[in-house]
Amino acid sequence: MWALTASIEGLVVVSVVVVAGPVTHWLPLPWWVVALVVLVVAGYVAVVPRWRYAVHRWEVTGTAVYTQTGWWARERRIAPMSRIQTVDHAEGAIARLFGLATVTVTTASAAGALEIEGLDRTRALLLVDELTLMADSVPGDAT
Amino acid sequence: MSEWQRLDPRMLLIYPVKELVRFLPVVFALFIAGTASGGTGKWWQLLGIVVPIGLGVLRYVTTRYRIDAGRIELRRGLLSRHVLSTPLDRVRTVDITAPPVHRLLGLTSVRVGTGTTSIGDDDRIDLDGLPVERARQLRADLLRVAPERVADETAPPEQPVLVFDPTWVRFAPLTSTGLVITAGVLGLASQAVNTFGGFGRLHPERWAADAETWSVWVAIPLALVGLAVVVSALSIGGYVVNNWGFLLTHTGPGRGGAWHLRRGLLTTRETTLDDERVLGVSVGEPLGLRLAGGGRVWAIVTGLDQGASGSALLVPPAPRAVVHRAAGAVLRTPGPLDAPLTGHGPHARTRRYTRAVGPALLVLLVVAVLVPVTDLPVWTPILAALGVAVAAALAADRTRALGHALADGHVVVRSGSLNRRRDALETDGVIGWNLRDTWFQRRVGLTTLVATTSGGRQAVTALDVPEPLALALACTSNPQLLVQFLE
Repeated sequence: MWALTASIEGLVVVSVVVVAGPVTHWLPLPWWVVALVVLVVAGYVAVVPRWRYAVHRWEVTGTAVYTQTGWWARERRIAPMSRIQTVDHAEGAIARLFGLATVTVTTASAAGALEIEGLDRTRALLLVDELTLMADSVPGDAT
Repeated sequence: MSEWQRLDPRMLLIYPVKELVRFLPVVFALFIAGTASGGTGKWWQLLGIVVPIGLGVLRYVTTRYRIDAGRIELRRGLLSRHVLSTPLDRVRTVDITAPPVHRLLGLTSVRVGTGTTSIGDDDRIDLDGLPVERARQLRADLLRVAPERVADETAPPEQPVLVFDPTWVRFAPLTSTGLVITAGVLGLASQAVNTFGGFGRLHPERWAADAETWSVWVAIPLALVGLAVVVSALSIGGYVVNNWGFLLTHTGPGRGGAWHLRRGLLTTRETTLDDERVLGVSVGEPLGLRLAGGGRVWAIVTGLDQGASGSALLVPPAPRAVVHRAAGAVLRTPGPLDAPLTGHGPHARTRRYTRAVGPALLVLLVVAVLVPVTDLPVWTPILAALGVAVAAALAADRTRALGHALADGHVVVRSGSLNRRRDALETDGVIGWNLRDTWFQRRVGLTTLVATTSGGRQAVTALDVPEPLALALACTSNPQLLVQFLE
């Protein structure tokens, strides 16, 4: 999924540069700039999704949720079960193509949302149920 | 208190005026259209005045509220009826504001903060127009401080923690607020002058010609001094209008009480913060204030809109001793304010320097290369070199500021130079932890530790903490949470 998203992004960038540069002469870009951009984008598409996949992981225990995301800048987030406020399940267009889904866990803090991307759909639904039940069983108003 | 109550009838005077102001453009348009069409259709010009007044009256008639069965309910609207209802135990803050017109009529406007993150105006519980006494009564009902206060009426119920002192005005010009106000005023003024074709009449060319006869060395300092005077005057004015009569008091027993803030010269504001919702304080010391030995304090509190951060200002710019005392009182222990901070080590220092000096050096290089090539003035590289020196000084100061500690059950973090902040957050107020590190940071074993919280800025950030220290801090403040994920 990430590979496809990255490819699409890359394709857009490349086509913009190509159109802006030699094709329309709107921007006076020499051919080697275009080649450089294509090279960089190709590298991005080849490396970053794999890197992302390698970094990405999540874990749910009885008392907390943990996620690790990113590639260049890695971010690890931990939220205790007792502070979970909502559990969202979302499927983007590309994700649905692959039967994947994203689960978002939000807390009372705007800085504390945990996103688990690219889960298998059935697994995601299971996780949502599980989290909702567990968050429900903890008393308190989660702030 | 189960029957529906209305706002004060005196609002019948205010609502129509407010609506009229909102409809002013329409009224103007109608008026102009009317005169343009030769003054035949007189009656529909009146429409522009009658409709807003009617709307104002309607708004009064249709707005009702009640407190019943542990919920506060607000009902308003004629065509699309809107009912808002919130359980009383979700009420976190109560804000009582009285703009000048309201004060003239002895009215106030009450805003109930429930910690919702929705931004729409429609979703707020605003009771605009209650008599002062009823507003206070309502606040007491809402925050359940009332029984305790009634019970020990004999004991001094309010202990003032902070009383405004007019000499604090000297700190006003040292904050950036003055600059912001000045920029706003200048912008408005230039726009006004522009609208009325003033620039044509003022003859800026003649001014310029006049100024040319002066020496640059006279003109520039003169302009600077003039600007400084204007900025100071405006910021002092803003400070006085906002903070006149600032009073911070605490009611109720030790922990179960509430903090009351009162301030304002023209528009008076009263904010009440429930004790349980105050998660910590944030002591701000911008460069100017720091040099003059001052500071200010915000409360990290749940339930206030992020936009209304002004309501959480516990101490306006004031001397450091006052700041320290008030912040200590709010935290109930001066520990987090005095505790020695653990520095973030040499790698963090290197990062501060590279990040500050790097761009400045780049600018210097570019300028130095450009001078021989193009016809840039010779003094630009000197200016750029000065920029590098300033950047280095900033980096040194930023390094000095970095630090964190865990004192008396509070996570304490300090950072920044131009805008230095020391945040002290209760460990119970920490919702979760985020650890963020880029590849550069990982290489030298640093991480940015973020404690997320539901109040204030939503997060307390410790920049570039060495990884073991970061984990130690997070683990000691929430023992069971992190350990299970440490491989």
